[in-house]
Amino acid sequence: MASMGGQPPSSLKRRDAPPVSKEGDQLIITPLGAGNEVGRSCVYMSYKGKTVLFDCGIHPAYSGMSALPYFDEIDPSIIDVLLITHFHLDHAASLPYFLEKTTFKGRVFMTHATKAIYKLILTDYVKVSKVSVEDMLFDEQDINRSMDKIEVLDFHQTVEVNGIKFWCYTAGHVLGAAMFMVDIAGVRVLYTGDYSREEDRHLRAAELPQFSPDICIIESTYGVQLHQPRHIREKRFTDVIHTTISQGGRVLIPAFALGRAQELLLILDEYWSNHPELHNIPIYYASPLAKKCMTVYQTYILSMNERIRNQFASSNPFKFKHISPLNSIEDFNDVGPSVVMASPGGLQSGLSRQLFERWCSDKKNACVIPGYVVVGTLAKTIISEPKEVTLMNGLIAPLNMQVHYISFSAHADYAQTSTFLKELMPPNIILVHGESHEMGRLKTKLTTELADCNTNIITPKNCQSVEMYFNSEKMAKTIGRLAEKTPEIGETVSGILVKKGFTYQIMAPDDLHIFSQLSAANITQRITIPYSGAFGVIKYRLEQIYESVESLTDEESGVATMRVDDRVTLKQDSEKHISMHWTSDPISDMVSDSVVALVLNISREMPKVIDESEAMKSEEESGRKAEKVIHALLVSLFGDVKLGENGKLVIRVDGNVAYLDKQSGDVESENEGLKERVRTAYRRIQSAVKPIPLIAA
Amino acid sequence: MGTSVQVTPLCGVFNENPLSYLVSIDGFNFLIDCGWNDHFDPSLLQPLSKVASTIDAVLLSHSDTMHLGALPYAVKQFGLNAPVFSTEPAHRMGLLTMYDQFLSRRQVSEFELFTLDDIDSAFQNVTRLTYSQNYHLSGKGEGIVIAPHMAGHLLGGTVWKITKDGEDVIYAVDYNRRKEKHLNGTVLESFVRPAVLITDAYNALNNQPPRQQREIFQDSISKTLKAGGNVLLPVDTAGRVLELILILEDYWAEHSLNYPIYFLTYVSSSTIDYVKSFLEWMGDSITKSFETSRDNAFLLKYVTLLINKSELDNAPDGPKVVLASMASLEAGFSHDIFVEWASEVKNLVLFTERGQYGTLARMLQADPPPKAVKVTMSRRVPLAGEELIAYEEEQNRLKKEETLKASLIKEEESKASHGPDNDLNDPMIIDTNNAHAPLDVVDPHGGGFRDIFIDGFVPPSISVAPMFPLYDTTSEWDDFGEVINPDDYVIKDEDMDQAAMNFGGNLDGKLDEGAASLMLDTKPSKVVSNELTVQVKCSLIYLDYEGRADGRSIKTILAHVAPLKLVLIHGSAEATEHLKQHCLKHVCPYVYTPQIEETIDVTSDLCAYKVQLSEKLMSNVLFKKLGDYEIAWVDAEVGKTENGMMSLLPISTQAPHHKSVLVGDLKMADFKPFLSSQGIQVEFAGGGALRCGEYVTIRKVGQAGQKGGGSGPQQIVIEGPLCDDYYKIRDYLYSQFYLQ
Repeated sequence: MASMGGQPPSSLKRRDAPPVSKEGDQLIITPLGAGNEVGRSCVYMSYKGKTVLFDCGIHPAYSGMSALPYFDEIDPSIIDVLLITHFHLDHAASLPYFLEKTTFKGRVFMTHATKAIYKLILTDYVKVSKVSVEDMLFDEQDINRSMDKIEVLDFHQTVEVNGIKFWCYTAGHVLGAAMFMVDIAGVRVLYTGDYSREEDRHLRAAELPQFSPDICIIESTYGVQLHQPRHIREKRFTDVIHTTISQGGRVLIPAFALGRAQELLLILDEYWSNHPELHNIPIYYASPLAKKCMTVYQTYILSMNERIRNQFASSNPFKFKHISPLNSIEDFNDVGPSVVMASPGGLQSGLSRQLFERWCSDKKNACVIPGYVVVGTLAKTIISEPKEVTLMNGLIAPLNMQVHYISFSAHADYAQTSTFLKELMPPNIILVHGESHEMGRLKTKLTTELADCNTNIITPKNCQSVEMYFNSEKMAKTIGRLAEKTPEIGETVSGILVKKGFTYQIMAPDDLHIFSQLSAANITQRITIPYSGAFGVIKYRLEQIYESVESLTDEESGVATMRVDDRVTLKQDSEKHISMHWTSDPISDMVSDSVVALVLNISREMPKVIDESEAMKSEEESGRKAEKVIHALLVSLFGDVKLGENGKLVIRVDGNVAYLDKQSGDVESENEGLKERVRTAYRRIQSAVKPIPLIAA
Repeated sequence: MGTSVQVTPLCGVFNENPLSYLVSIDGFNFLIDCGWNDHFDPSLLQPLSKVASTIDAVLLSHSDTMHLGALPYAVKQFGLNAPVFSTEPAHRMGLLTMYDQFLSRRQVSEFELFTLDDIDSAFQNVTRLTYSQNYHLSGKGEGIVIAPHMAGHLLGGTVWKITKDGEDVIYAVDYNRRKEKHLNGTVLESFVRPAVLITDAYNALNNQPPRQQREIFQDSISKTLKAGGNVLLPVDTAGRVLELILILEDYWAEHSLNYPIYFLTYVSSSTIDYVKSFLEWMGDSITKSFETSRDNAFLLKYVTLLINKSELDNAPDGPKVVLASMASLEAGFSHDIFVEWASEVKNLVLFTERGQYGTLARMLQADPPPKAVKVTMSRRVPLAGEELIAYEEEQNRLKKEETLKASLIKEEESKASHGPDNDLNDPMIIDTNNAHAPLDVVDPHGGGFRDIFIDGFVPPSISVAPMFPLYDTTSEWDDFGEVINPDDYVIKDEDMDQAAMNFGGNLDGKLDEGAASLMLDTKPSKVVSNELTVQVKCSLIYLDYEGRADGRSIKTILAHVAPLKLVLIHGSAEATEHLKQHCLKHVCPYVYTPQIEETIDVTSDLCAYKVQLSEKLMSNVLFKKLGDYEIAWVDAEVGKTENGMMSLLPISTQAPHHKSVLVGDLKMADFKPFLSSQGIQVEFAGGGALRCGEYVTIRKVGQAGQKGGGSGPQQIVIEGPLCDDYYKIRDYLYSQFYLQ
């Protein structure tokens, strides 16, 4: 299937072999659908290990699996967030499939209104799509299950998931339609979905985001076309209807049940209210789906514009006064003039087709096509006003009724797109959701128009990745005790760097619990060791190992204590036991272990008198031993190591000579590289062989 | 230094007075809440009046009188003209609450503190936000971000988060932790370690009784109804009543009762209409049922909405439940109904919230309740007989004087302006002084002749006697004929906006017809009051349905939020003191309880500076993940970037040794099952110590409960004899921490 979309350059699945250094800063955007086409919107985006998927639609012209976006290009399990802009099939219909049939385990968000209508529209889609059971992408159960996984958000509400921040703006287009702004580590991406910058009867115009995004993924359905002003379209619409019915004709408006249909109903209802002479002419809308969705429209008034909200103050404008629902053609009493709005919009079948066939031969009647129609449907055919049409039963009938095409589809036209982009000024623009030639023309025109702002316009095909690099500066805030004094250049700062999402803070360990939910802990250990010998013996033995062994007496109990290396405290609890306590950290743990070993040794063997000279000798011995070890190690590293004059070691590597002074660690060599290597090696050997320096001092 | 924060209470500290606080952040003054009580006592607003002009923004948190009641008055009288922010439902329900307050006052008194127009204009410049919307202030408040968050309690109730430079100031009053029928619980707990938390102590001493209360509520109602009595629930206009309505609806549906329920306020039908469209602000269960079955919970099946008392009086006799405003019983329908019903033993008055201090409701909630109460019954009656005549004469006299004065002025004006040219362009000068005079008052005994003629226009000064205005429609001509103004022929984009125009200019909200008629009613009327003593024989019950977090959950939440500094407001002196002591011990060492008009400085004494983390440094840092956080130890050298920022570079010399740090939060309760899963016998010994195996014990010492700024890191002690188990357990203990 992947081959259908041209040549996928590199599969996104191969994430385990990323370009090494800059992987974190690479932003990838890949259209999995709607790249140089209209339908199955789905855009993949990943940045800094976070992955977002925008929309999840199907292609209305295909069926079954081939209608899906190219999901096999990605690994669904790594997607953090899936954002759905609106309820149209080409933006939301593959969601049940994606949620239920793939490994996706991220979170899904859409607006309240979208979620409420999504269920109705998809249930209806499942019912009407006449495909075989094995071709079904999902069933009603899948839709119901998906409802539980979908989370809702309100416009402007900021949500943060895994460090991905996002919020949405009103997009116009249909009820609940949103444009998503995603912010990952300060890089902002705006995905418009379908949007319209023109306010209409019930919807607000798309908002202009407050912040300019770094990348704008924008629809290009109408390319460089321009719309007629709304009031002219409305006037044409109402005039056609008024003329037709006053001549005794019938008007058929084939329209998709949801979205624009509500706008047309509002226009009609208002026109009827203003023209009392029409009150005896019935208006019907024949869609059970639209009827079901009316409650949603009556509820989510807040997502609509001021105008409708003001009307709401007196009565709900979606409680139409002059429009009645129509369930089926049997209930339709077809006497005299009437206006009927029926679905589907393309006159493919169903009620709109039945009425069309009944009315098409009478020239008094009219058919108003109110929106974008897909190639291959009867609606598209009759726009060119042929003389005859083929009926569903195969007969040919004359087409005498008038056909008008008045577009009310709420997509941005060129004027809206270019103003929107000019005000937003994104440095990168990615065009999606448009036929490739429309998109191409739009790109050319935008390039000339935005020539002086150095804008990068890209029109990727499906599965073609756009890669960008963002050099994001990481800023950290140093707070608390650590920040009491602002350091000068050259000074050092040491502390704990705490990262949450994409914010960094540096703080002192003691402040950890103040500024974060984390907290530091101290573990005090107390251990009792059976020992019945004299306390002084331990002290003596310890003094041989540790530089600092302090004798004290416990103030409360008067018990003899001693403190080893300023870390571990020993206490003679009783005749038979000593106790030892210290605060955990790696070095103290080690010291305590050695003390334990020592004490156990003393208890096992009888204390023996030790000759001091012997001890001295053993020190010398160990010194010699150490020297041997150093020599051996150096040989293993450099090969040719000889003892030279005045105690220096001569090291030869590939003709270069280095002289190492064993006492001071100084190295002399003409070759800088070798000198550095020998010095480092010697330092490391030293720290391995020689006793640990006493840092606590 | 951190952001400067000052808090000055203007009303509502150490008592239960309405809430109003001034919070200034880096010189930007927020007025948070602007409340008033049911007595509408202007003296309470004294402190507000002094600072009103300096306020830069107003934030409203809830829609009831206690939180926004004084807004119309302050806007009108104190010149408070700052932008106001609230959530959509808080704005709408607040507007309706104020309408209801005004209308119920107006009915019984010459209420003149504010008018409906004042309410409208006060609510007109409210910016409405959604939950979690980060709103960036501009201008003087540049850099400040405000965001409302869900508070519970009332629809649209808000916890305000004000952020500047990464420091949060949180204002949270009257929040509810529990999820209710129509609302979710607050999200306050999701904020951790804000710089300042301003919160109330209102409920600090109250502990909610267990859930069986719900049964008492329902039982007492149904018992009263079965015995033939009426139930009165004094409620607020548009807040808690929504929850009660849902409870009653559910109960009625469950038990298929058919006693009528009435919801009686001046704005009840618009309240429910609006509430139906606020689903996205409600709890999960409501949204869910709407999404799946499109059942709007507020399509009420059992509750009848009434907007005036006569409808209730006309209702069929028999037991019924009435929810009527105001909750304080001081005014409104609840007052009248109480007076009517109190003397009947069978009836029940059920309070669902604590009455405001000094109100009738509070008196009745006393234990034991008073046997009789004195109330003032007031009624607005139309004037009649002599009074009416006297009133009309007075009005006429006033009107005559005014018109005379006006016409004199007009004459002078028109002489001045129209003297030289006779071309009177504007013949329809509306005499504004007369516009409000009642038109139905006509005095037949002379004097009116001139008045009526003049009403609506002023005769040209040059005319001898009054005459209808005459104007020539002169048109200009040029070489091509009459000059045309192209504007007259433009098809205006008006068609669709017509409807909007009709509503736009008018009231912002919608009033019920009854209410509107009352408002527009200019018929002369007066208020008649009489005092009477009501024998309280009906049963009185008080059950807590306030939907506020109770003392226990307040303390839990505060301990969880653990602010760096805490300001306590709104609550009786005892409650405030109690909570203060509790918080000092368990939450944080900086607890403030300011007095009215006392400004306290809660600027955090935090030091902070910003540095850039250079690429070189970050490539060497290995993060370790700990819950939501990732941490690493850094040693770095300070350098400068090209644009003068400080940046951290990798250190060039040997890194200094640092004391090792154990990071992690040991929870004994979680550690125990972990140890047992490793095959070690564990049990809790006394004093929170954990006994592992036979000999080893682990315990936490120091103040484990307090997370606040004062305490240090947690102290854990592990004790035991030298044995294998000891080291094994120590290793497990270490595994709970991350060593730096």
